[in-house]
Amino acid sequence: MKNWRTWIVVILLLVMAPVSYAQFDPKKVCRIEDGSPVFTLDKRWSASQRKEIARIFNLDSTLLSNAFELKPVINDSGNVWKTNKLDAYHIELRRDLEKSAGNKNINEKIFLLDDQWIKLPPAGYPESPPFGVNRFTRNTIVQLPGNWLRLFLPGQKNAKKVCLSGSFNAWSTIQTPMQACDSGWTVTIRLKPGKYSYKFIIDGKWVNDSFNRLRENDGNHGYNNVFYCYNYRFTLGGYPDARKVMVAGSFNDWNDSELRMIRFRGSWVLPMFLKEGTHAYKFIVDGEWITDPANKVTRPDGRGNLNSFLGVGDTLFFTLKGYPGAKKVIVSGDFNAWNQEELSMNKTREGWQLPYVLASGNYEYKFIVDGEWIADPSNPYTVGEGNTINSYLAVKPNYWFRLEQHSDADKAIVTGSFNNWSLHDYRMEMRQGTWWFPVALKPGKYTYKFIVDNKWILDPSNDLWEENEYGTGNSVLWIEP
Amino acid sequence: MNSHLGFLYALMIRMTLVLPVFSFVTMDLRGSVPPVPRLVEQVPVPAGSISCTQGNFTGVTIPLKRAGRLLLIEASIGNISGNFILDTGSSGLVLNKTYFRSSLTIDDEEGGGVTGSTSGVSRMIVKRLVVSGLTYINLSADVVSLGHIENRRGVKILGLFGLCLFKNMEVVIDLPNNELQLFKLDKNGHRLGSPAPVVKYDIIRKIEVYRNIVFVQVSIGGKILDFCLDTGAESNVLSIDANKKILSTVTITRRSSLSGIGETTGEVLYGTLTEFSMGNRQLIPMETIVCSLTAMSQKYGYPIDGMLGFDFFAKGKIYINLVKKEMGICLAKEDKK
Repeated sequence: MKNWRTWIVVILLLVMAPVSYAQFDPKKVCRIEDGSPVFTLDKRWSASQRKEIARIFNLDSTLLSNAFELKPVINDSGNVWKTNKLDAYHIELRRDLEKSAGNKNINEKIFLLDDQWIKLPPAGYPESPPFGVNRFTRNTIVQLPGNWLRLFLPGQKNAKKVCLSGSFNAWSTIQTPMQACDSGWTVTIRLKPGKYSYKFIIDGKWVNDSFNRLRENDGNHGYNNVFYCYNYRFTLGGYPDARKVMVAGSFNDWNDSELRMIRFRGSWVLPMFLKEGTHAYKFIVDGEWITDPANKVTRPDGRGNLNSFLGVGDTLFFTLKGYPGAKKVIVSGDFNAWNQEELSMNKTREGWQLPYVLASGNYEYKFIVDGEWIADPSNPYTVGEGNTINSYLAVKPNYWFRLEQHSDADKAIVTGSFNNWSLHDYRMEMRQGTWWFPVALKPGKYTYKFIVDNKWILDPSNDLWEENEYGTGNSVLWIEP
Repeated sequence: MNSHLGFLYALMIRMTLVLPVFSFVTMDLRGSVPPVPRLVEQVPVPAGSISCTQGNFTGVTIPLKRAGRLLLIEASIGNISGNFILDTGSSGLVLNKTYFRSSLTIDDEEGGGVTGSTSGVSRMIVKRLVVSGLTYINLSADVVSLGHIENRRGVKILGLFGLCLFKNMEVVIDLPNNELQLFKLDKNGHRLGSPAPVVKYDIIRKIEVYRNIVFVQVSIGGKILDFCLDTGAESNVLSIDANKKILSTVTITRRSSLSGIGETTGEVLYGTLTEFSMGNRQLIPMETIVCSLTAMSQKYGYPIDGMLGFDFFAKGKIYINLVKKEMGICLAKEDKK
């Protein structure tokens, strides 16, 4: 009996041995010899394991399959590789150093590493979320009229210098000093509505706001505090006996347990930051969903119910003159995913019109007149070429490209990193001897050039430019937060 | 006039060595490309004269910011304020040509490069540079294009802040707390008017300062190697030409291609040093990249076996005493074990 068991164990071990030997360990695949990587491949790897090795070590799949077929010499993008069979399972793949470009040139010129592995926070400025509500344990931030905010840091009386640093000043450590007051430090800053992250700097040291419960990872094992500059207040009059009133809408995916309103002077209110644009919403009074009785703008939700609608931001009017005989005119653009039904324009005495709220940004749109797509005849700004010309609209532009010279040119285009260096866009408008083009750009750096009658030129009115690969330079524009 | 180009070239290679490429960069058809200064004989770069610091300055704490793995401090030159990369691998002050083109005193635009771009090195005198209360007067600065770093990190970079600006100081780089502390030293290397450090350092090592670059000896696989301390390197670097025994201690974890200007020119290997120590202290695992440093050694005029970059500085609080010629490390909790 004992012998029988022993034989079972031995047989199992023998069966398992090759399996364990073929264990997949990418850390044992590559070594360096003579200044070049050498790979030890295992024929027992599965297809997915081979794919993984190709990915990790940036090996071409054809090179790898040729190596597994033991082709003695393999050409691959300027490199010559040699294979060598080590045993029944293992193949060695190494570069023929005499015939390969290898890494001989890496210090001969500036190079960039195509590396998606290092986890870095994304460059640039994150989008504001659709909404936000502050959570302070003590009122250390007061919002004043005109979007002025007063921040207060209690205590720290022994500090010599305190600064406020955050996303609103590109995390400058010197631009926003705080002033000492009776019981701490204070500063008043003007901000646009939105979300901001921040920290204090007390005598050179980064310090969190202990009175603020809103925080987010700072990417460095710590956190930044977060506050919102408000721009909207939900208000529901009446319902004095209600125990719980909530508000929910498209901005928070209709979450009915997230935004609780508070009783204030006979009404239920909730001040908050709400992103610019059009939002659907409802109140929930002790579990019952109701539209806003003070808001006449309601639209069907497609399931037999009505939602209230509000717009945050300036209302703009899409206007199309003429077309008195048209039956239906629609405005369609990238702001509504080119929906061909949603935004029906209203007939007026002079033509067609639709009031609509859009957040700051650059948009493309067209009108659909009884099924026929047309660009806006009253808008001088267009993008695209030939049949794909769309009207262009910059809502709340924060920069105007202008080119004062070349007034005799037939065509002037401004192109850059903001439009992927399009050769055809954006077409500038000539007005009183100057070429113009408006843009609404997010904070950050942009490089650009003008193309005047097919000739690329730097912006003559901008001293900031940097070298490019053509030796001709690109103009540089920074949009500050 | 071109005597500084080699060194600047070396530092720019170093700084772009580990910069990841973001998608918007690859889409940028005419976007900026790193300049390629000419290769010329290497000589030290004078940092200019630090003729004045703040009145009775003895010590200051400067907040550090991060842009990816680069460390930034803020400073002002005239009415221009902004970010400078703290770069101990650079000997002096380097300014970004985009913002200082109009102030150049010597403009070597004829330099050109491998790409043919007119991106030579130019120079200027900075009358006044202020950083956290420290004032430098009449500094000599090299002016090069640093647009490629801005484009990859999305932050405005006015220049590089090299080690020569911390002459006769003790520099404490505290990455866990994002602080840079500077202490003025007497001729014996003791802090002036500041209390002695209460921190107990886990490692204290002698350093060599050669042409304003700090070198320290490390041990890998039992072999002693000369590494330079470089806060401007986003990763440690080990020379691929190190001997077999050293390389056998590196676990290669991945490989990436290096792209030059529209073409693949080489590769870089990522790995983990399994036997890395300073003094008697093992510091493992230590991440590194492995690539050729031959050209860089030529530019520095000193054979470099490797560079201690971000991965090393992230290990804890590190001080560099430029008078005593020594450095110390107070390891972060997780590395103390």
